Amino acid sequence: MAEVSSNGATKVLVGEHYDTARSIISKYPNSRSAVLPLLFLVQGLEGYVTDQGMRDVGELLHLTPAEVLASGSFYTMLKRKPTGEYLISVCRNVSCAHRGAYKVIAALSERLGTEPGSATSDGKFELETAECLATCDGAPTMQINYEDFYNVTPDGAVELVDGIERGDTVTSFRGEAVKTQREISYETAVAGALLPGTAGDQEARTVGGESPREDMKVGDRPKLDHSEEPHGG
Amino acid sequence: MVAEQALVVRKRLVEVDHAWKADVYADTGGYEAARNVVTSMSPEATLELVKASGLRGRGGAGFPTGMKWSFVPKDVFPKYLVVNHDEGEPGTFKDRELLESDPHQLLEGMIIAAFAVGASKAFIYCRGEFALGSRRIDQAIRSAYDNGYLGEGVFGSSFDFDIVLHRGAGAYICGEESALLDSLEGHRGQPRLKPPFPAVKGLYGQPTVVNNTETLSTLPHILNHGVDWFRQWGTEKSPGVKIFSVSGHVNAPGNYEVPLGTNLGDILELAGGMLNGNDLKAVIPGGISAPLLTTTDMAMDFEELQGAGTMLGSGGIVFMDHTTCMVRNALVAAQFYEHESCGKCTPCREGTWWQVKVLERIEHGEGRKEDLDLLLDMCERMDGRCFCPLGDTAAWAVRSNIKSFRSDFEDHVAAGHCTYETDHRTLVGARAGATGLGDAGVTSQPSAGIGSDHDGHAR
Repeated sequence: MAEVSSNGATKVLVGEHYDTARSIISKYPNSRSAVLPLLFLVQGLEGYVTDQGMRDVGELLHLTPAEVLASGSFYTMLKRKPTGEYLISVCRNVSCAHRGAYKVIAALSERLGTEPGSATSDGKFELETAECLATCDGAPTMQINYEDFYNVTPDGAVELVDGIERGDTVTSFRGEAVKTQREISYETAVAGALLPGTAGDQEARTVGGESPREDMKVGDRPKLDHSEEPHGG
Repeated sequence: MVAEQALVVRKRLVEVDHAWKADVYADTGGYEAARNVVTSMSPEATLELVKASGLRGRGGAGFPTGMKWSFVPKDVFPKYLVVNHDEGEPGTFKDRELLESDPHQLLEGMIIAAFAVGASKAFIYCRGEFALGSRRIDQAIRSAYDNGYLGEGVFGSSFDFDIVLHRGAGAYICGEESALLDSLEGHRGQPRLKPPFPAVKGLYGQPTVVNNTETLSTLPHILNHGVDWFRQWGTEKSPGVKIFSVSGHVNAPGNYEVPLGTNLGDILELAGGMLNGNDLKAVIPGGISAPLLTTTDMAMDFEELQGAGTMLGSGGIVFMDHTTCMVRNALVAAQFYEHESCGKCTPCREGTWWQVKVLERIEHGEGRKEDLDLLLDMCERMDGRCFCPLGDTAAWAVRSNIKSFRSDFEDHVAAGHCTYETDHRTLVGARAGATGLGDAGVTSQPSAGIGSDHDGHAR
């Protein structure tokens, strides 16, 4: 039987996924450090960062859902709404911009019939523009679910989309097979979790919001003392 | 004379197949330096040697590595080593190559650094978008544990050392070391007030050394060959070799490792010269944050570039030829900073947004004559008024484009359209979308909520 949250919804991080989450948390001296990997885990299981997923992460890390959202909302790889199965990120920064990136973006937009930032109606693809992907030697470049494609042409980019649509195995410039958005999110979540070492088994270990950093302790936030503030400065 | 590379840090990955594999690394002298340091040197001697080498941080700031280490208090535990592998400075792709193609070299450098500063725990903050690099370093860490290079009793000594791989999630600002630490602690990646510096109060409030991937990857070579060997290259204040990432309008874009102080023209020659034999227009010498050069007659070291009003930065060199519109170049840079501003400081958060607004109207032929001075005025109000360098560099990038190529901007305003780009579908900026062609992609709305879903734009 599925575990049910206090609000009646089905929990995401249960069973083996709960165990995976615990093993990620065990890597860190302070459990809050696990917030990004755990949000990737939710995205890997749900396709995006769901409300319930954030509640589960908060429960595990002794954070409020608002605190989880506050951290997660800073980062572009964590998606807050359903994302296409194949996320195409075209670099638009300097080297790529001067070598035709905007032509690639235009061609992909036309082929997919969607604006960057929206999934296609069948949920198969999503186009986004990206800042420098550190692949300027292959400009213009793009990633499909974070696998790299170098020296992309407008026609070549469209051909890659066609290939995925046909069900072909598409491999990156470096020979890596493109995974689905859920698969790569899951992989990112557990990237360090299965390795032997840990930085979490020391005396400084703390839980959740109780950061060893003095200015971050829960219930002990820096208080504004208005009496000492300069006025009229 | 034809320019040549001085291969040190890139040597193995250039000359040996599958340099990323553990057995290949071991067969080519791998881990000898770390073994020697851990089993027969003292932490103090190791630190002194690195200090004497004059090695400066390869991430962008160029701070002397040995000096950074020496700020770490001896009697406070635990201490941490954190690898800044959040490479994202536009035009830079050297750390990515090092992690994908020679990950054990980084691990060996980490062992040396951790031993010198007395850290027994380390994190590798690996950029979220680097899927292959993450797989390679994951595999390398695993085999290093299997071989006794990591874990309890490194190389049979009494030195314990653990490494945890941590992935970023898409934020350029996390390459700033204090923002990186906040991110690693599970917060929004926003820079901290300094002092205290991370060496004194860093990760979880503990003494922390944050070093760049290339910096750490250089250490095994310095330890193997000594200070004099390293100082045979470069200048007194900028010793050694440095990897430059060369891209843009060149025939052979790629990473090139040369002595610091090498002439920019020689680096252009290594990269095959200008694409199609075109004329050079401008060069970004050290990542997009570095103000433009308009000549290749420049010694590429920290002091010379600073003297020329720009910087070596991360070593990302972008050559641009005479077909390049500098309005586009400035707008691309401005949009980058607008998107990556963490929102902490008002001059940066608001200033980058307004820079984009004004540059967009110039790009789309709606600019006014007074906009150029308006932009320069904005730059004045941003530069030097922010917590971290992002606000400064956003100002420098726009200012440098206008100052060096004012006529490009004036022509745009006077003509009412781009004088280089004839295809309006591929203009930069939100207004391209508003033409109904639906292809622009980039909006300039401040992003809200989780991730890129709100504006279709990542990182």
